[in-house]
Amino acid sequence: MAESYRRSHWGHAVFVLPYLTIFALLLAFPLFWSVWLSLHKVDLFGPGRFVGLGNYARVLADPVFLQAFRNTVVFVALSVPTLVALGLFLALALNRTTRAASFLRGLFFSSSVLSVAIVTLIWRFVFIPGEGLMPLIFEQLGLQPINFLSTAGWSLFSVGVATVWWCIGLPMMLFLAALQQIPGDLYEAAALDNASPWRVLTRITLPSIARTVMLVTVIQIVMQFQLFGQAHLMTNGGPSGTSRPLVMYIYEVGFVRWDVGKGAAASELLFLIILCAAMVQYVVSTRKPEVAE
Amino acid sequence: MRHFLLSTAAVIALSWAGAAQAQTTIQLQRFFGACEPDYGKVTDVSSAVGECGIITSLINKFEADNPDIDVNVTTVKWPGYDQLNAQLASGAAPDVVSIHYSAISDYQARGLIDSVDEILAAQGIAPTSFTEAARGGVTKEGQMFGLPFDNWTMLFHVNLNLMKEAGLVNPDGTPILPTSVDEFFAQGKQFKEKTGKPYLVQILANETAVYARMLYTFLQQQNSDFFADPTKIKLNTPEAKSVVEFMKRINDEGLTTLGLDYAAAVSAFAQGAGGIAVNGTWLIGDFVAQSQKSNTALAGGYTVYPVPQLFPGRDSTYADGHSWVLPHKDRTPEQTAAIGKLFKFLADNDFQWARTGHLPAVKAVFDTPEFKALPFRGNIAKIAETGRSLPGAVQRQFPIQAILSEELGAAINGDKSVDEALSSAESRINDLLANI
Amino acid sequence: MSRDTTYRPEASRASRPLLWIATLLAIVTMAPVAWLVGLSIKDNRELMLGTESVFRVPYTLINYINILYSSQAFGWFFNSMVVAIGQTLGVLVLSSLAGYAFARLEFPFRRTIFVIVLFGLAVPEQAVIIARHQMFNWFGLHNTHIGLILPGLSSAFGVFLMTQFFKAIPRDIDEAALLDNASQLRIFWKIMLPLTLPAQATLGIFTFLHAWNDYWWPLISATRKEMFTITIGIASSQQNFAQSEGLGFLSAQAVFASLPVLIVYMIFQRHIVTAVSGGAVK
Repeated sequence: MAESYRRSHWGHAVFVLPYLTIFALLLAFPLFWSVWLSLHKVDLFGPGRFVGLGNYARVLADPVFLQAFRNTVVFVALSVPTLVALGLFLALALNRTTRAASFLRGLFFSSSVLSVAIVTLIWRFVFIPGEGLMPLIFEQLGLQPINFLSTAGWSLFSVGVATVWWCIGLPMMLFLAALQQIPGDLYEAAALDNASPWRVLTRITLPSIARTVMLVTVIQIVMQFQLFGQAHLMTNGGPSGTSRPLVMYIYEVGFVRWDVGKGAAASELLFLIILCAAMVQYVVSTRKPEVAE
Repeated sequence: MRHFLLSTAAVIALSWAGAAQAQTTIQLQRFFGACEPDYGKVTDVSSAVGECGIITSLINKFEADNPDIDVNVTTVKWPGYDQLNAQLASGAAPDVVSIHYSAISDYQARGLIDSVDEILAAQGIAPTSFTEAARGGVTKEGQMFGLPFDNWTMLFHVNLNLMKEAGLVNPDGTPILPTSVDEFFAQGKQFKEKTGKPYLVQILANETAVYARMLYTFLQQQNSDFFADPTKIKLNTPEAKSVVEFMKRINDEGLTTLGLDYAAAVSAFAQGAGGIAVNGTWLIGDFVAQSQKSNTALAGGYTVYPVPQLFPGRDSTYADGHSWVLPHKDRTPEQTAAIGKLFKFLADNDFQWARTGHLPAVKAVFDTPEFKALPFRGNIAKIAETGRSLPGAVQRQFPIQAILSEELGAAINGDKSVDEALSSAESRINDLLANI
Repeated sequence: MSRDTTYRPEASRASRPLLWIATLLAIVTMAPVAWLVGLSIKDNRELMLGTESVFRVPYTLINYINILYSSQAFGWFFNSMVVAIGQTLGVLVLSSLAGYAFARLEFPFRRTIFVIVLFGLAVPEQAVIIARHQMFNWFGLHNTHIGLILPGLSSAFGVFLMTQFFKAIPRDIDEAALLDNASQLRIFWKIMLPLTLPAQATLGIFTFLHAWNDYWWPLISATRKEMFTITIGIASSQQNFAQSEGLGFLSAQAVFASLPVLIVYMIFQRHIVTAVSGGAVK
């Protein structure tokens, strides 16, 4: 009898049925249908005609797509390490029971609960010349003001600052959680050895939370690849497309230019990119089992 | 959760009850901004200032006059076409939508909006009562596809107080404005030296339209027929090149504010950040109101002129206009009648809308004493003749505008060479048009 | 969690400077928020003349009073709440059920199905959004709360997380129950589910924040103002053409719309931290 749950049983599938239904209807089917759309010349308002892989060719030949791709990769490459490092730093600094630490934890997490429209509103108020906080500070310091939102390079940077500010809460919390799982006796042993704080950090703390670092990195990579709202609202992708992320490209092609087939093709390419990133991640993490606790 | 369900039910019930009271509801969707705190209850239209204030109080007045009609207004982020597209695609389009003349062909060509001929006829509004420009803007294939509301262009909004400081004012008090590219730079330099401020206040951040509108204007002034074929733009021309080089030189010589987005540019000009704001007709009313207050930078020193003719050829300014269109859908006779009443009301009150600074779409308004008494309308009256739009058959004018502005911006900031930017813009636009 | 009793060297000696740096960072982090609050208590007209007036008296609550009288922020907030809570509950139920089965039960094609679901992890929302938009047309789901809630339920992340968590629970717990002839449903409900509460909290916070912050889907699905969420509502008045509602009012609206969630967060802060700690993947 005790073996019954081990036995394969159709009835057990009932538990997964609700999710599978939603999965099939809202993810699998739309995915196939998007692929179908991507093979058609079609707008938002009616049937189109089959064009084979034409849309893919057009997307890949589009310099704007390539630029958006580059922007996104740069953005991910800079924002994810920042989020991971800063999150880890904050978790280490605030992993204590004092009231001050608890207050600061709350403070750093609180920006995560703001909606993206408010985040961008706040940061526009900070960056915009004339009425913003930064220009005011620059002016007080007698510095030449920088046009953060309309200078190539700086605009993507500004979007990144707003993003890190907005997203820092979750990595910090996950790291805090992981730190608290580390058995106390490891530290006691280290204390007996009179190990330096740096040694404790690199020999005990970091190895113990390696899996969490990996998890946070993967979550952030997937999330930051989908950057859209911040860029759309803060810079509108400008100047000259230097802060346009891939998702905004898809949005513009599909919903602004009505070129749904091309938009679908671009979105399938985004899917492939993320899938590849996930695969690489999977291979890397299974190759190094010693990283796991 | 239970509370939530209950309160959801309560809210739905309430909104149904609300709808039941008014017999006919019109869903109206517009840009022009939201200004509920100041104008949410105002029905005295003549006290309102600015686009948002005037349209909000106009609708309030209409609802007060017609208690059996409920106009449910949704405000969208300008220009709102991406949302409109999503709505049309999902069959959830509103009944009446604000739209630019330049965007009508997209929707008309796809059968997504309905002709308004019958509704206008039923209300006794003759098509000939509108100006040529206004009627031309909404007429496709011989039918009118929207109620014209205004015509607008970009203008030179002038801070006379600063111009005086710069010595750029005639003895009669009018500002000295350039009549050629060379004069532009001479005067701009003089302005900068005397006042220490940039000559122009331009919108350069988070911006998708202004560069394109200025390019159109200066191309028209050179008689360049860049859209001879409405499915192909031609930008690899000496004319286009000279315009972009001109615009780039403005930046290079430090004659403009940098990095301002739309809202920041408007308030920067109001705060006296520069001599001339390059912005639309719609701000005249706001700036006049500013100049009538005592402690503002514009106090007693504001005037406005069309964008001057800087290139030899002809005097011309790119023009567009706003209108109200009806997304294609089934309507009850009551709804059609209510929309008719609303259109009649808006046409009858076109003068009020013209107080924003826009040129009226209704011909008769030009001859009324009230209109003639509005400030500076004499200065800009000629845009009725010099205003020119793109050929009506050109589709996707808004996306084209965005592409142009992006590429021109790259050239002007020095991220690309002028030639590169122009050929990139041309190929992107032609790819877009070839794939409609 | 017994985290308070264990000895933490970096929490005592070495990390004093760390705490100072963190405090400094916190001040920098809060500056934009302070700026926003400052703008919100200034008169619009005064801000028109220059924003440096934030540092001077007089201050006013007029913008907040205006919200109470005329803003739609209440409705936006309500919609955001319904969507975020609905989606969170939905994800918790679906993921717990599926995660339990994938981790602890055997049924035909279990591994195959699980691998397929894992593939779903890599599908970005954008890859399906256009097709979804058309599908929701057929069923008339646009401009409804359900229409805003449903897409979030398909996320494979929750299933993945819960499966991992259920796997970590020792086998002998449910084997003992099975000996007592308890039904699978009973085991799941009475024994397993209570053990997963920390994981539920983690997943719940993830999902709530994700739903709360969603931008693209509500932008194209909730196109009637009655259905605007906070994100869409604020965005619609944020960059409106013409300088409609002044800076002060916009800021007040932003503060107002964030306040309730922040307050809820403050109240539950302790529990959230504990929950996340307990539920994190080990």
